[in-house]
Amino acid sequence: MVKVEVFSSPGCGKCAQAKAVLQAIAEELGQDKVTWREVNILEEMDYAVDLGVMSSPAIAFDGELVFSSLPSAGKLRAELDRRLKS
Amino acid sequence: MHTIGKLAQNAEVTIDTVRYYEKEGLLAPASKTDAGYRLYDEDSVRRLRFIRQAQQCGFSLTEIRELLELKNSDAACCSDVRNVAIEKKLQLEHKIRALQVMSRALTELVTICNDEARPLDECPILAALESSMSRKTEGGKNG
Repeated sequence: MVKVEVFSSPGCGKCAQAKAVLQAIAEELGQDKVTWREVNILEEMDYAVDLGVMSSPAIAFDGELVFSSLPSAGKLRAELDRRLKS
Repeated sequence: MHTIGKLAQNAEVTIDTVRYYEKEGLLAPASKTDAGYRLYDEDSVRRLRFIRQAQQCGFSLTEIRELLELKNSDAACCSDVRNVAIEKKLQLEHKIRALQVMSRALTELVTICNDEARPLDECPILAALESSMSRKTEGGKNG
């Protein structure tokens, strides 16, 4: 099971659509394999700082910051596959 | 129209500061007198206030340039500015954490120095700093 967390702030128009595409890719793998959580940076600032988030949007896998900006669909899929295999 | 001296006085900055902002491309005179003296309009006054206010909020000159570009961009909207502010807040929170770690380390050092009458070469604070520096140097050599 891979826990994906997307850090962003409400009203971030430019990333809403891109996030939806990435979320669909992650959820294709099945909810038993991937969980997707949207984290509102403003509400969970301490947690974001704990993980080293310095910009928005950013993506963490299993509590580890991996992408400091939204990745391409291919990169997200590759990272998910790598983690599910290991 | 304002002279550079009047503009600086208005914003409570020095003339050198205004010149520096100009050199950095953040500010420009609206026109020049026949003798070549810079003249600034009300837009420059507002712009200078904006720069000072943003600096007080912790924005660097590079970030202020970005904010000013957003301010003048037809394609930008409020959420773009909000995003810049959120990223700045994230950076500040990281800095606060780092400062808290430093503050705790200093508290420990102050605590171990409980005898003010000791000679300087027995000062535990200096000894602790020296040993942490040598640990870092050794770590650097090994790593």
